[in-house]
Amino acid sequence: MDLTALFEKYPYLREALTAFAVIFVDFCALIILIAAGRERRRGDRLWAREGRGYMLAMGTTFFPLGAAEILIGRHPAADIRFDDNEISRFHALLTLSNGQWTIEDIGAQNGILVNGRRITQPRILRQNDQIQIGKRRLTVVRGTGKGVTA
Amino acid sequence: MSRTNTNPVSHPFLLLLVLLAHTAMLLLVLLSFGLTVEVLKLACVVLISDFVGAIVLQFVAQESCTVDTVLLLVLGMSTIYQSCFGGLEFALKHFVFGIAAFLMCQISYVLVRNPYRAEKLKPLWYGSFFALVIAIFFLTGSRGIWIDLGFITIQPSEFVKPVFVLICASSIRTQLRKSEIGGWHFVPDNLMLLFCTAVIAGLQWYSRDLGSLPTFAAAAGCALLLRFMYLREKISVRLTVVLIIGAVFVVLTAWHLAPAYVQDRLHTDIWSDMSGSGYQQVKALTAIAEGGWFGKGAGNGTLVNVAASRTDIVFSTICEEWGLFTAIMTVVLVLFLPAALLTVPPRSYYHSGLALGVAAMFMVQMTLNIFGSCNLIPFTGVTIPFISQGGSSMLASGIMAGFLKAAQAPVLTGRSAAQLRKGGKA
Amino acid sequence: MPRITPQTPGQPRIIQVPPLDVSPPRSMRRAGRGTALLLAAFLLALVYLIYVLVTRSAFYMAKSGQTGYGRVTDRNGDVLFDGTKPMSEYEAGHFADVGNLIGDTSGQMSNTVVSRNIELLANYSFLYGKNSGTVTLQTTISHKATRACYQALGAKNGTVTAYNWKTGEMLVCMSKPCVDPALGYDNIDSMPSGSLLCKAFSPTVPGSTQKVSTLIAAYEQNGVEAVNALQFTCEGSWVNASGGKINCHNAYGHGTQTLYEAFANSCNPYFAQLVQSRLMPLSAVIGTYTKMGYSVNGQKAEPLVMDGLTIPAASTVLTDSNTFETQWGCLGQGKTVVSPYQLMLWQGAIANGSGSAVQPYILAAHTDIENRVTQLGRTTRTGQFFSEAAAQGVRDVETDNAEKHYYVSLGEYRCGVKSGTAQIRQEGREYENSLLTGFCLDDDCPVAFCVLIEERTGNDISNAQLAKVLLDALRSENITKTAPPAASAAGG
Repeated sequence: MDLTALFEKYPYLREALTAFAVIFVDFCALIILIAAGRERRRGDRLWAREGRGYMLAMGTTFFPLGAAEILIGRHPAADIRFDDNEISRFHALLTLSNGQWTIEDIGAQNGILVNGRRITQPRILRQNDQIQIGKRRLTVVRGTGKGVTA
Repeated sequence: MSRTNTNPVSHPFLLLLVLLAHTAMLLLVLLSFGLTVEVLKLACVVLISDFVGAIVLQFVAQESCTVDTVLLLVLGMSTIYQSCFGGLEFALKHFVFGIAAFLMCQISYVLVRNPYRAEKLKPLWYGSFFALVIAIFFLTGSRGIWIDLGFITIQPSEFVKPVFVLICASSIRTQLRKSEIGGWHFVPDNLMLLFCTAVIAGLQWYSRDLGSLPTFAAAAGCALLLRFMYLREKISVRLTVVLIIGAVFVVLTAWHLAPAYVQDRLHTDIWSDMSGSGYQQVKALTAIAEGGWFGKGAGNGTLVNVAASRTDIVFSTICEEWGLFTAIMTVVLVLFLPAALLTVPPRSYYHSGLALGVAAMFMVQMTLNIFGSCNLIPFTGVTIPFISQGGSSMLASGIMAGFLKAAQAPVLTGRSAAQLRKGGKA
Repeated sequence: MPRITPQTPGQPRIIQVPPLDVSPPRSMRRAGRGTALLLAAFLLALVYLIYVLVTRSAFYMAKSGQTGYGRVTDRNGDVLFDGTKPMSEYEAGHFADVGNLIGDTSGQMSNTVVSRNIELLANYSFLYGKNSGTVTLQTTISHKATRACYQALGAKNGTVTAYNWKTGEMLVCMSKPCVDPALGYDNIDSMPSGSLLCKAFSPTVPGSTQKVSTLIAAYEQNGVEAVNALQFTCEGSWVNASGGKINCHNAYGHGTQTLYEAFANSCNPYFAQLVQSRLMPLSAVIGTYTKMGYSVNGQKAEPLVMDGLTIPAASTVLTDSNTFETQWGCLGQGKTVVSPYQLMLWQGAIANGSGSAVQPYILAAHTDIENRVTQLGRTTRTGQFFSEAAAQGVRDVETDNAEKHYYVSLGEYRCGVKSGTAQIRQEGREYENSLLTGFCLDDDCPVAFCVLIEERTGNDISNAQLAKVLLDALRSENITKTAPPAASAAGG
């Protein structure tokens, strides 16, 4: 059977097939990207596991810790921002590494108190640790929900 | 690595999609060339490599397969294109480099998936950067850009690109580390980036090939902007205006001060020199016009006889045989790689810098290639990532795809994700 | 679902624990935003690229000679260029009068309708590909009138250019000698010089037609009334302030004349005295000339463009009102050159009495390979060359001139004209070109024109007779009706 004759026999077959094929290819890429949305949810769960599901609580306000580096300070670019005069522009940096959250003083004028003690070295955070930054008191809490194993 | 089928994306459905997409393309090839040995060879190789790739992804536990799957799709398509130009002949070399690029993606992923470690290795990146620069300076000889190793020619300038992206990315911790000399505060890392950019510019000036300068400039510009944004909530209107005016000023100055051989490029009227300096572009544009929306059919092109038809003007070559519509859709397909970043945001400053750097590199490269060959901007010899032929470019693009993957699936521990999953708690 | 955490000893506090939230902070979205911006810019650029490629593809094809070409027709569908079959199949001499205006695809001529609009002639569309039909490019030219002028010139060479000053349609643009594209270019060396060039677009010595420009300058400076009342005496020749001698073509002199008389007499001493008088500071003359489009004293002036055809701007050198050279320049001799096209354009601006002309166009409509017709010509206006008052003043002078002195030849038209005799010194030869530039105000023939007969001697057709041939031919063409779309006009 001479397959090449098909294109000559049906005038717009090639154009139609080309259009179909290439649209299909891009459509596939789109599906893959949409499927990546599932990855994101999965990524969130893994992140929760990696970061122990920790969040910061201040009264009834909760701050998610969704990145490996969280900047706390008065600066507008800070991830957790407090517009208090006692708080430096770049005050504290929370870092996630090896499954541990660490808090670190990055040039705070008034320092950081963890459980009432001023820290000079990066300190590993544990559940229910009290962090005092200026007048603000933050508590390390563990969120509940999917993906967090007890 | 245990057999834990936990990958969220690389399930059989997506494998099927990739296979179907390539089958649709191959069906066209089949109908264009008939049932010949070469067609079978191409079909088998593409489909089997898809299958193998997918199986590998299935078995190697990892958090993200988006980049890998799109990469499989792109590489298969690219192999089909490169095999069909001007008649069917399986592009073995291109295919092999495609596989190599895929492997490179995995290797570079493992290298940079931990952002802390990747940034700690920065002295190494600086080292490799200067090693490559020196290699280009001394080894390429007579101002060429190739190192001929006999069996293979390496283009070190391509490998500078991923290394440069690694230099461009920076974490907030690095940005907060300031030095002071004579009352002047500065971030050493930013100074280093500027220095490296200057070195690249100087090197390109020296080797009389300013073609890929915009690529590096774009990556450096994005990096600096991002670093700037670390310390700023948003950029004010005034600053935006100042930045734009500055950029325009720099471009205009460069335009006027550009050496003669660049000026020639900038002011070439290709239609008045159709057989001379405008030859490639005239041929490329005519080929696009001849191809129309859906092309002349695979293998029916004539542009393949023109120099660089598989690299610098590959867009036109695809246009001629497959049509403008297909070519545009192919470009969009490549764009899905950096676009993956939009669905899953990165989790660390260093990775977001990497991802943006790669996105800038890919897009500027494609812009230079496509718009250059279509005579809308000066024509420079750069490649479209993964589509153009060329081993060095392919491998470098593979490495950069690995960076994108790292941003999608960061690992913040020494342990693998699988161990983490098993162990549950740290 | 909030729940109560077990209390830690020593910290008797109850904290409501929220559902887990691990969304990345804003700072992590910056790279995404940057990528989105880059993507958007790139996609926009791609859309622009598609637009450019699709719209310019016909040009690429035509320019690289990869496709067949269609036809160019005149306003009535008469073929002026045919790319679909050998042009030698038409009757002999069919293209002999339009060859250097319309041109062909041989590449021998660059400033022609075909060369400058080659993309409109490609039998190509991005959707259907090449040679999938025949395109027709309809021009506003009247082939009949062109041929009438060509034949009326007899053995003489010259150029005739005319356009509808109300709509802008270019009607005649004839230049003789003219190449016949049907005969090919094998004998290119033996062709008379100027065959490959439409001289209507080449600046040439304007002779006394330049007095129109000078008069406009005078009107602009002093007002119409004041200038019309001026009197100067001509005694056959006149010696200016720097000792230069301006001769009149009438050796016995015209005596004391008013402006109307001097204009009709085309009296050189009158106009030389006008230029030298206090009424005409040189800066004012230069100002008016520059506004009209002259390149004065080497200053850059934009060339005129009509549908891709370029016409070099008029130029002159004016240094000092008291010198012979400057006065001679204002009289249309010496270093002054103007293209017949530009002379015609000014007449258009005078005829409508506004000082700005309707921009001429030559492309009327394009029929693509799918028989879709696109109208190309649009009536637009040029910039202001001179004031309304000056335009109306000159119109009156010119009509007066035509009524009194061209009654015999142009009596049946309501015309305004200015004649000119240009003395040419070229390659050691001296000869005179005869020019007539003017306009017709009749509603059925709104034409501005310029005719030029090279090396005219007493026995040849006069410029006014040639103008009458032109107007007769145009009036019989019904030029006030806009050319019908060429759709299938070129069928045969």
